[in-house]
Amino acid sequence: MTRPEQRVASAAAGGRARAIARFLIPKILQCVFVIWATYTVAFLLMHALPGDPVLAALSLRGGDATSTDPAELDALRARYGLDGPLWQQYLTGFVGIFAGDFGTSIATGEPVATMIGRAFPHTAAVAVFALVGGFAAALAFTVWAYLARPAWMRDVVTQIPPLGIAIPAFLTGLVLISVFSFGLGWFPASGTTGFASVVLPGITLALPTGAIFFQVFSAAVFDAGASPFVVTANAKGLAQRTVVTRHVLRNALLPSITIIGLQIGYLAGGTAVVETVFSRDGIGRLTVDAVLARDVSVVMGVVVTVAAVYAVVTLVVDGLYGVIDPRTRTRLLSAKAVSR
Amino acid sequence: MKLLRRPSLLIAVVVLAVAAAAVVAPQLIAPYDPLASVGSVRLGPPSAEHLFGTDHLARDVFSRVVHGAQLSLSAAVLAVAAGLALGSVIGLITGYVGGAVDVVVMRFVDVLIAIPGILLALIVVASLGFGPLSIALGVGLGAAGSFARVMRAQVLRVRGEEYVEAARTLGVRGPTVLARHVLPNAARPIMAMAAMELALAILSVSALSFLGFGAQPPAPEWGALVSAGRDFVATAPWLSLLPGAVILAVVLSVNSVARSIRGDR
Repeated sequence: MTRPEQRVASAAAGGRARAIARFLIPKILQCVFVIWATYTVAFLLMHALPGDPVLAALSLRGGDATSTDPAELDALRARYGLDGPLWQQYLTGFVGIFAGDFGTSIATGEPVATMIGRAFPHTAAVAVFALVGGFAAALAFTVWAYLARPAWMRDVVTQIPPLGIAIPAFLTGLVLISVFSFGLGWFPASGTTGFASVVLPGITLALPTGAIFFQVFSAAVFDAGASPFVVTANAKGLAQRTVVTRHVLRNALLPSITIIGLQIGYLAGGTAVVETVFSRDGIGRLTVDAVLARDVSVVMGVVVTVAAVYAVVTLVVDGLYGVIDPRTRTRLLSAKAVSR
Repeated sequence: MKLLRRPSLLIAVVVLAVAAAAVVAPQLIAPYDPLASVGSVRLGPPSAEHLFGTDHLARDVFSRVVHGAQLSLSAAVLAVAAGLALGSVIGLITGYVGGAVDVVVMRFVDVLIAIPGILLALIVVASLGFGPLSIALGVGLGAAGSFARVMRAQVLRVRGEEYVEAARTLGVRGPTVLARHVLPNAARPIMAMAAMELALAILSVSALSFLGFGAQPPAPEWGALVSAGRDFVATAPWLSLLPGAVILAVVLSVNSVARSIRGDR
């Protein structure tokens, strides 16, 4: 026999678990949908556009359809999963993703998953540096713009961060290399060796990342700045520093977290250029080399990986958001109350 | 006049006018042949006769940049046009038809928007092969999703208006209503967006050309010029930095004009 308070406790725990499940399951399904849809779009593009990937890869290696034995071509197709009817290629490819099998690279003969797994940490290091650096810079500029007086000064400050997205990444990279590698000798100009080699590529990608963060930050900060609770806080004579940190920033930071998913997409595109400029190993270089070799299985693998990272990060951010923001939490709990 | 009160917009318009002139008649602006050596000075620094210096084959870099405008800018314009056309068709149909078609197609449009534009373009280049045309199509496909979304929103806004209702009551057929009434009223926001997308397209096209997927040498293309200069960045940094600065100036100018079309300050 269970005591009543125990029953209440377990019912509450069950209710919470149900509420969490109700919150999470649709989001996980959404995650799978994004991966599936990305795979489908990429697959359709690869097969709707003219060109035979095996022939294209062969021709780059010096062979072609006429000089290669048809039986050998068929064997190659079978090896890379490019044989059989399209729907079958489509299905086996998609099922393979969830088993961690991305197929075999046409150019190197290695499993695509191995190649991606090897490149991933290098790119992640640069991406995290860019996210943190961009976030910090956007925060600094937002506070500066918020506090800047007179109005024209604020206008000038708010004009600076958007430049970050207009500068081509290769230009930023080359300027940084000329100044900090060849000029001052502070950081290596190329290579994948330790933290020092992450700094310049990281800064290059931090500029556009920061510009995107700033857009969201500054809108949220100026919104919050005009809201009743800030007017009240100012009116009751709180120090400006307290008002900014406690009331304005706290309310402005949360929405910006939701765009991290968008940033991941942007970074995934940006690494292709940055890793080429700095001759670094990573997902971007892997993709560029794969496109140069017309290696469709690697390109496909990278696209699906990026979609998966994007989907998982979005899922985690959504989950965290529920934990951090008391308002979302209340909504969760009140939904539970209604369901009882 | 509006232009004279805002010097930054005036500068932007002048930059774009020069860029347009370079596209139409590069030989009038470029002092030298972009493909021929013009002397014996290799990797020469910027000077009065060679504004951007000379490259490793002693070609005049300024002339190459001027001639490069044609390939780079027309690829960007083509990309935006392709994205605009594809996106508009999707947006018009989903917005006007509504229902299940709308729901399903727009989910795919969301995914199209979520896939980074460069990756999408790389898929297209991997399947179609290299060249400015595949780059343009790839970048255009990346922009199509956003265009579809904006166009759909405009169609939904206009669809409920009285003149559209009136036309439909009078028995005007669907496609005619779309072409005559819905499209013209949705044009302004779409045009503002096209201008914004043009700036992004110039960046993407030059990035892809920098990566070596564009026109093959010796044809001049902006991204490829920066990439070619990269090998000499320690000794002759101007070779890549000056063409890069030209790209930046054009992108900023397009942005500035786009903002004024949208009606911002």
